[in-house]
Amino acid sequence: MADGNERDDLPQATVVPKRRTRVSIVWIIPILAAVVAVGIAVQRVLSEGPTISIVFKGAQGIEAGKTFVKYKDVNIGQVTAVQLSEDYTRVTVTAKMAKSAAGLMVEDAAFWVVEPRITLSGVSGLGTLLSGNYIGFEAGKSDSRRRDFTGLEVPPIITGDQPGRQFVLKADNLGSLGIGSPVYYRRLQAGQVIAYNLADDGQAVEIKIFVNAPFDRYVNPGTRFWNASGFDVSLGAEGVDVRTQSMVALIAGGMAFETPPFAPPAEAAVANTVFTLYGEQEAAMKQPEPLAKRYVLYFTESLRGLSVGAPVTLLGLPGGEVTHVGLDIDPVTQRLRGRVEFVAFPERLVEQLIASGQAAAGESIARSNRARQDFFEQMVEKQGLRAQIQSGNLLTGQRYVAFDYHPNAAKAKIDWSQERPVLPAVPSTLPDFESKIGSILAKLDKLPYEAIGTDTRKVLETFNQTLKDTDKAIKRLDSEVTPELKKALEEFRRATVSADRAIKNTDAALLAPDAAGQQELRDAMREVARAARSLRVLTDYLERHPEALLRGKN
Amino acid sequence: MTVGALTAAQAGLVSCETCKLLSRPVHLDEPGHCPRCGAALELRRVHSIQYTWALVIAAAICYIPANMLPVMVSKTFATSDAETIIGGVVFLYTSGSWPLALIVLVASVMVPLGKLIALGYLLISVQRGMLGGCRERTRLYRMVEFIGRWSMLDVFVDTFTVALVQLQPLMSVVPGPGVLFFAAVVVLTMLAAETFDSRLIWDAGSKMESQDG
Repeated sequence: MADGNERDDLPQATVVPKRRTRVSIVWIIPILAAVVAVGIAVQRVLSEGPTISIVFKGAQGIEAGKTFVKYKDVNIGQVTAVQLSEDYTRVTVTAKMAKSAAGLMVEDAAFWVVEPRITLSGVSGLGTLLSGNYIGFEAGKSDSRRRDFTGLEVPPIITGDQPGRQFVLKADNLGSLGIGSPVYYRRLQAGQVIAYNLADDGQAVEIKIFVNAPFDRYVNPGTRFWNASGFDVSLGAEGVDVRTQSMVALIAGGMAFETPPFAPPAEAAVANTVFTLYGEQEAAMKQPEPLAKRYVLYFTESLRGLSVGAPVTLLGLPGGEVTHVGLDIDPVTQRLRGRVEFVAFPERLVEQLIASGQAAAGESIARSNRARQDFFEQMVEKQGLRAQIQSGNLLTGQRYVAFDYHPNAAKAKIDWSQERPVLPAVPSTLPDFESKIGSILAKLDKLPYEAIGTDTRKVLETFNQTLKDTDKAIKRLDSEVTPELKKALEEFRRATVSADRAIKNTDAALLAPDAAGQQELRDAMREVARAARSLRVLTDYLERHPEALLRGKN
Repeated sequence: MTVGALTAAQAGLVSCETCKLLSRPVHLDEPGHCPRCGAALELRRVHSIQYTWALVIAAAICYIPANMLPVMVSKTFATSDAETIIGGVVFLYTSGSWPLALIVLVASVMVPLGKLIALGYLLISVQRGMLGGCRERTRLYRMVEFIGRWSMLDVFVDTFTVALVQLQPLMSVVPGPGVLFFAAVVVLTMLAAETFDSRLIWDAGSKMESQDG
């Protein structure tokens, strides 16, 4: 045997069992699972769009996971959560946007809830009746990114890519205007009201309007806007005046704009230019103040019927209007007298100068104080131009101030040094009438009625004699003229009989049962009856099958 | 059978895993084949721990997307609803049918998670040579093995619904990616339970016994 067995004291070598350290192929499974899971996670993160929050006043019909955010009817995101804001007054909607829409989430982007809306100016969002409400989106122009937005309460009427321009109008009050109210240009709808709010100082209303593309060219800095809502009924010295733009404006309110002819030609106004919204067309189209001059008139007669706004005419053409009616004490005679202040628009009168050579002269009269004063002075002093209160409308009793030539009027001079020069006036012709009638009555009083009485009796006696003579004359006439007259009457009767025959023939042609006209009329009536019958059949059918309106008769 | 009982391996014998015949192995390293049924004999399953760990980890990885991704996407003509398992549970609960919610929660969320935890616990206990509670751990293992197949119920319901609800264009249901991962979790945990050699639970106790003795 070998040596090993003899040496029992030697230690036995230990067998270290072969450890299988080889990594099993089974580990591919968890690695594969991990790779797939991580791959999906990475893909998710990469395709993740931004999460935004929108604050709304109310979240009607918005549900987490169900409501989409749509831009041009394309889904760009989905609502993931709807929560109350921290102070419980508003609703915070959290939405996950598509990655492709990340670039749209900028400062001035707008969100609003799209729901069915029925307003005076239209119906919108009917599609949401089936699909549920969704959040509308409108892209902004800004570059700065944003993640939290405040939702609009009403959808913006104008989308960003609509050509046109936005303007701001300042008005005393909103009147009957509302969002969507039309803006008219020459009675064509040119735009609409898109927003309104109270001015910061609370003293005016700022109305934002959008004027669509072809029309915005006609808005220049000289353009006037006026409220054309509903009826505009004015009762003035010119009579009753009713104006309206359209039926929509009648119901929903509206406004109109126009550039007055006297405005200087200008480039189209830039967007967001501020304009004044006038209450009415009259006020809007009035001449601007700078050229308007104020004058004073004194009257010693009744001013009843003369109101502020009453026209002032020169030779019957409107050239100004009354701005103030009041009382004044004459410093010389210590007597109360009526004081009428008016504003004159010389430009309007100058416009009426048709002859071309005179236009330039007229322009200088309108523009230069000196020239105007000279011109007026010679008219007043040499030709007797005087103011007079006249009755404009006998029905309403409205009166106005008329400047006409009164060559016989007393001499007068204008004191140009005063801020508001006093122009000479003459009493109106109406009081004249009264005094004349008075003097006529006085004269009548003085008539010698006794003498007239006896004279009359004499006259009557003579008249009696005359009558007797006439009687005689008539008797003679009777015996001589009557037979002739009888013959003439017989002739006339014959003529009448033949005329009668002619008329009967005509009757037969038109009214006989077999007359052509009758026949056609009867045919027409039969047609109408047939039409009525088929209409009744149609309404019967529709009553029973109302869906036929949509689907057709089948 | 107590912890300290003699095991077949200690006695130099090997039991056939298929027909359970106890036989003498050709060699301890390569036991050969069962003389009765011809199945390959193993003293202990090779790499049992490693295999089970790999499968358990894979299942655990899949468990996360299975619960995060939608398992079912239902589309109506206007909306599209992607529901995760937990989302479905919450929906069932809020709509009043809490027993159904409980069933789904137990069968689809807690059972797979429980299986993963149980297998992980068994593996760690075996690796660390834990002595106590061998019987309880074996019972746990049996439970894991038994319950595994029932988790496929979810996948079955999902595919069934998808196949049935195809009312284009009014409504349709399509499977979400989550259901693939869910199925993977179920299959992987079943495989893990299968590869785990329950005899290892008892080995630690017997080794201790033999060292003591």
